[in-house]
Amino acid sequence: MAEEVLTGGRKKDRCVTGIDALDNILDGGIPRGNTVLVTGSVGTGKTTLCMEFLVHGALGGENCLFISVTESCDRLMDNIIPYEFFDEKLIKEGKLVFVDMPVIYAQLGLEELEFEMEEVDVLIDALSDIVTELQTKRLVIDSITSVCYRLRTQEKIREFILKLGAVLSAQGCTSLLVSEISPAEERYSLFGVEEAIADGIIFMGNLERRGDLLRTLQVVKMRGTMHSRAKYVLDLTHCGVLLVPLLKGGSVAGGA
Amino acid sequence: MSVSVRVAQRLESLPESSAIALRIRADNYFDTIRGILDSFAPSKNLDSIYVTSTIPSQSIVNALEVLEVDLERIYFVDCVSQFMMGASSKHKNAIYVESPTMLENVMLKVEYLIRKTIDHNDLVILDSINSLAIHNSTSILSEFLHMFVNNLRSKNAYAIIFSMEEYESDDIRNILNLVCDETISAAEV
Repeated sequence: MAEEVLTGGRKKDRCVTGIDALDNILDGGIPRGNTVLVTGSVGTGKTTLCMEFLVHGALGGENCLFISVTESCDRLMDNIIPYEFFDEKLIKEGKLVFVDMPVIYAQLGLEELEFEMEEVDVLIDALSDIVTELQTKRLVIDSITSVCYRLRTQEKIREFILKLGAVLSAQGCTSLLVSEISPAEERYSLFGVEEAIADGIIFMGNLERRGDLLRTLQVVKMRGTMHSRAKYVLDLTHCGVLLVPLLKGGSVAGGA
Repeated sequence: MSVSVRVAQRLESLPESSAIALRIRADNYFDTIRGILDSFAPSKNLDSIYVTSTIPSQSIVNALEVLEVDLERIYFVDCVSQFMMGASSKHKNAIYVESPTMLENVMLKVEYLIRKTIDHNDLVILDSINSLAIHNSTSILSEFLHMFVNNLRSKNAYAIIFSMEEYESDDIRNILNLVCDETISAAEV
């Protein structure tokens, strides 16, 4: 009751990411069923963060699914950080499943470089069926930007993300959609639509300070929870993603 | 009684998880380190995390080997070697921060080592505030130490911050007074 008074109502059920500092930032985790954009330029740790989110979920008994769009899952696994808490059994027992999006495209006969609206619906239905069949509770699509390249128009992108978010949320699936942007980008997604529709935005960046390059993370938006909007510095380690607050004394006015 | 024994005894008399400013001089530098790592830490069954921004970790390892200090439970966060384009031979217990200006990364590496040594409480040595002050402004250094010490406190770790008496400024003394529970002078214990 006291907590309800403090938070202004009932606290939504949380999907605990397992990344301690991120769960603290999010006041306990991502509200379950949210569709979150994990956005940033290359080398900022987006895929690693998402992978850890899934591994912790699988370790906790949830069915987790990684859909890789940009590179094959085999190649992805070769380059992933060997977590100390990772257990091969998670894959063998089907708690952690990897699927290549091009395989889904091929099975659906989606071979054109640009999808029509009907094809967008076919793709959403297919993804929904996979999530239903696998009883997926955590999903990562890496990257949604690559899918959006095939949708081309803002209307189709909006439709795709809205419908996808709705079907995933209805199944209690918490999703991270990886969004790739260039370092100079002044928005959180390439097409500008994704960021407006997503329930949350986790922005990962590179901050240059006096010649040092720091990896940073900032939760810009997260529906359904109070959260910190401060910038944190992160490290990708065998123990998982670690975060500490960015020291303000060294930041530059107008800096990233 | 030697400096190393006196320093160890003084530290043992302090409450658990204290934050200590340890004022040392060049002539008692290695005796003090020996007292902490060879007497105090084993007596409390602590793993030691040694953050060095003064001299490369390999130089400290070499000195500790000469002093026959057991290195098994001593880990290093080395902020000097990469910065100086050194560290061609890397000690198995050392991890590296690119530059002493990357204070957030110092905290992250310490956090990583604390997680790696989860079975025991930790002792974290910061050697030294004076060398960090060469590379960082007073404002960011104060912020860093405030966060660093409180974070260690929350993890029940001892924090020992070295300050070289010969290079102490008023700013440094003020920062240490603010964040530490106790100030000890190695020459006077």
